[in-house]
Amino acid sequence: MTTLVKVTRYHLLDRLQYVVLPGGITLFSFLVNLTVFKMFPPPDGDSYSGGLVTLYIWLFIPATLTVTKSLPFGFALGLSRRVYYLGTLLLMVGLSTAYALIITALQAIERATGGWGTSLHFFRIPWIFDGAPFQTWLTSFVVLALGFVYGLWFGLVHRRWQVVGLLLFIAAQVVVLLGAAMIVTGAGLWGKVGEFASTLNVYDLTAVLAAVTVVLAVGGFATMRRVTV
Amino acid sequence: MTSTISVTGLTRRYRNQTALDDVSVEIEENTITGLLGRNGAGKSTFMRIVTAQEFAGSGTVRVFGEDPMENDGVLRRTVFVREDQQFPDFKVRHAIRAASWFHPNWDARFADSLLTDFELPRDRAIKRLSRGMRSALSITIGLAARAELTLLDEPYAGLDAVARQLFYDRLLADYTEHPRTILLSTHLVDEVADLLERVVMFDRGRVLLDAAADDVRGGGATISGPVTAVEDFVAGRRVLHRRSIGSRTSVTVSDYLDAADRARAAALHLKLEPLSLQQLLVHTSGGPADLEATA
Repeated sequence: MTTLVKVTRYHLLDRLQYVVLPGGITLFSFLVNLTVFKMFPPPDGDSYSGGLVTLYIWLFIPATLTVTKSLPFGFALGLSRRVYYLGTLLLMVGLSTAYALIITALQAIERATGGWGTSLHFFRIPWIFDGAPFQTWLTSFVVLALGFVYGLWFGLVHRRWQVVGLLLFIAAQVVVLLGAAMIVTGAGLWGKVGEFASTLNVYDLTAVLAAVTVVLAVGGFATMRRVTV
Repeated sequence: MTSTISVTGLTRRYRNQTALDDVSVEIEENTITGLLGRNGAGKSTFMRIVTAQEFAGSGTVRVFGEDPMENDGVLRRTVFVREDQQFPDFKVRHAIRAASWFHPNWDARFADSLLTDFELPRDRAIKRLSRGMRSALSITIGLAARAELTLLDEPYAGLDAVARQLFYDRLLADYTEHPRTILLSTHLVDEVADLLERVVMFDRGRVLLDAAADDVRGGGATISGPVTAVEDFVAGRRVLHRRSIGSRTSVTVSDYLDAADRARAAALHLKLEPLSLQQLLVHTSGGPADLEATA
């Protein structure tokens, strides 16, 4: 067992955080949706609930908490920052793979049962989770990983620069987005942007999100380099 | 003798405070060293920098001859459970299991017997342990890891006298069987005095004293008698503390007094009292006034 796998297993000792809460809350959200759809069947046949977003949020939140909860004892166990971070990314890959597989499987069941008998679209979202099983898995995997590394970076910024740093971190992101929007406006490029967005297929979007995930992971690692406990 | 820890000119400043000020210390292989000093003297910062949890401001730090920062080879041979150690939201047995994965010399049976001795409930969430029980858990991990470099930071906060004695006994027995470098920070000085082979005393970020424990124990003394005789006797010695009542004075020195010194003191009708480690700590890191008096 390599050290990175051990770090992943170390995280998973806290089952509540990574398995029980994300899985349980998503399951709860699903059952609530199912009950509502059974009681009030949608008139036009197909309906989309959007409840699946719960799972993505519940992978972002534990990732933000990881640094606070498991890093100090990780240091006590003699882990370097690099090993801790890479082991945590391995956890991200493992969780995203597993949850994306479960989503894909449930989507197949949902499709086969005509939306659980009530035309519920919980695991099917138009355009994004609508195509081949592999595409659902891949896009799901990337979105889950994105949420995780984004949360991880938040946690690291908080550990290193406390609340003030966290606020500046959020402000910096707003400024970057605003700056990008101003540049696009100034150059009169909104038409081009719209054109690009309309020609985008779901694989392109997945690739863009994967690139963002990599950027966030690199940013998190840069922050991790000088974190202290 | 090889040094497990070798620190030269180590300084660490925080915004409004100097935690470590030009510290140079060598910690020898296979010894038990006591890191003594008051709260805020720099003991914890020193231990955190040695284990790469904190960054050095300036100076060099070598552990097993290498820079410990991001050095997995060094960190794997080290265990450091802090006094204020934070644990994830899991149970005692989870912490033990995690520790067993990362420490190559981990002894599961030793860990088990320590848990039993300290009466630690294995299935209890660490959050719900008392202060003393959390210390017992930290001690269990620190000892069962059998790491070549073992750092224990105030390991017995909240432990009762019986549990503390248990800790001393188990530490000494295991150290005898498996010699390793142990660094123990504490302010319960006299209780651990017999365990220590070396003593490093910190005060306001500086090393006040770095000596073999036996020298320190036999070393310092308080000399009392008439002012002139006492002043004559202590001239040229390292004076830690002075107290005068009328024509009599009482001066504490940190120097080692040999047989000739003792004979001279007897001839001058001076009273000599050996200094315990605890008294030495109190005198050497008392208040600012004390330090100025010795300057």
